[in-house]
Amino acid sequence: MNRKKEQVVITVLGANKPGILAGITRAIADSNVNVEDVSQKIMQDLFALMMMTDFSTANCSFEDFQSRMQAVSEQLRVKVFIQHEDVFRFQHRL
Amino acid sequence: MLFSLEEVIETISAVGVETFDIRTITCGINLMSCADSDVHKCAAKVYEKVVRVAHDVVPVARKLEKKYGIPIVNKRISVTPVSFLAGAFTEPTAVPIAEALDKAAKELGIDYVAGFSALIPKGITRGDQILLNSIADALCCTDRVCSSVNIGSSQAGINMDGVYRMAEIVKEAAERSRDKNGLACAKLVVFCNAVEDNPFIAGSFMGPGEAEAILNVGISGPGVVRAALQNSTHLNFGELSEVIKKISFKITRTGELVGREASRMLGIPFGIIDLSLAPTPAEGDSISDILELMGLEKTGCHGTTAALAMLNDAVKKGGIMAATYAGGLSGAFIPVTEDAGMCRAIEAGALNIQKLEAMTCVCSVGLDMVAIPGDTPVEVIAGIIADEAAIGMINHKTTACRLIPVPGMQAGDVVDFGGLLGKGPVMEVGRHSPALFVRRGGRIPAPVHSMKN
Repeated sequence: MNRKKEQVVITVLGANKPGILAGITRAIADSNVNVEDVSQKIMQDLFALMMMTDFSTANCSFEDFQSRMQAVSEQLRVKVFIQHEDVFRFQHRL
Repeated sequence: MLFSLEEVIETISAVGVETFDIRTITCGINLMSCADSDVHKCAAKVYEKVVRVAHDVVPVARKLEKKYGIPIVNKRISVTPVSFLAGAFTEPTAVPIAEALDKAAKELGIDYVAGFSALIPKGITRGDQILLNSIADALCCTDRVCSSVNIGSSQAGINMDGVYRMAEIVKEAAERSRDKNGLACAKLVVFCNAVEDNPFIAGSFMGPGEAEAILNVGISGPGVVRAALQNSTHLNFGELSEVIKKISFKITRTGELVGREASRMLGIPFGIIDLSLAPTPAEGDSISDILELMGLEKTGCHGTTAALAMLNDAVKKGGIMAATYAGGLSGAFIPVTEDAGMCRAIEAGALNIQKLEAMTCVCSVGLDMVAIPGDTPVEVIAGIIADEAAIGMINHKTTACRLIPVPGMQAGDVVDFGGLLGKGPVMEVGRHSPALFVRRGGRIPAPVHSMKN
């Protein structure tokens, strides 16, 4: 069956330290959300990660996913933003 | 990757750092089907219809906040001007309608419900009279109901009987809410050239030319514009205008997205986006700060009207391309108590009510949230309203007065209305009397350029 993709952008910002990427991606995999693209940078010790994901395969609701990721972000002491890609598309693409 | 990390961070910091938000999703509801000669039966129908039509507005707004990561600060309802219904009432009061609207708003978690309104630019009907006589009571016995009255237009002139009556009502509403510093007046707007699709409070109402129900969106974002203008001292006016246009485009696009999606989820047609910069008392979320970043030592100094004109125009130019339907008031709001920067400019002696009036010639509305001494005579308030209406009538724009004569306070005292309404200084008003002028009665004829046919 062809699912309609539901693209969600996950952004992670925080102080750089080992294990952030591992912790975040493990939580994403646990929710069965598919990572399609990753971009990561260290900007003056600030860890900045952005992932384009397909949410259509998820095993939970969008709100539950946000809560799960919120819990993980608190453990890792980073900020996680989970937003539908449309908000970026509308602002940055004509 | 579809977006760069920089683009994503720009969007996130607009919300997190620069206080960008969708100020309001406003659901307009036509109440004509609720008509009844018995005001209590009419009120019951109004309550039922509002609760039915707007039932999902708050849950949908909450869902969208999560989906896009953009706060939607207020969820509001606007209704058909209640004076349209009041004409049929046997009992000459419209207060039960206000109570029904308030009850519905509270039940639904709606922040404000507006449209306890009358349109009297040319004359006053029985329904208008009933509504006008009910305003002070309605604003004092409800928490979330807002009222507005349109007393003039470029097409009809200015109904000076209406102006004087509204000045009396402003005084009455202030006195009746004396224990809250005249707070009832913060929910009352007097318009010239009122628009029918304004999503902003307190002047919102559902125009008679609209559909059965409609969804309008008001954006905000002075903080985002301010951030974009940091380090802009080297830019000339053309370049400055470009920066404002670009940022206005981006914030309006977000409003367009939220409006479209809310409309789809609610099954209510999307009306317009109001391309406004609406300040809040939060630090940095200020129109005054933007004007000062443009190079003014203090808002109110010479050059302020020009700076505001340019800002207002650039906001519209940037936003209009981002929106399928732009409407409402669209421009920069300059409320006083809601904008901490404006209050500082008054306290510094840079901004007075005369300069503020000049600024209203080029901003989106008018003398908004202006606290004045509690002992200001009705005639002076009528004079202020008439001046503001004249600016609107001659310039074919919306102007308005939301004046609060704070009981017991004098110029220079500080009044605190709380929350988004903010706090600020009571402004000095002129003390010479326009009494003979404002009491002449009748209507100021429409200007010559109203005759376009």
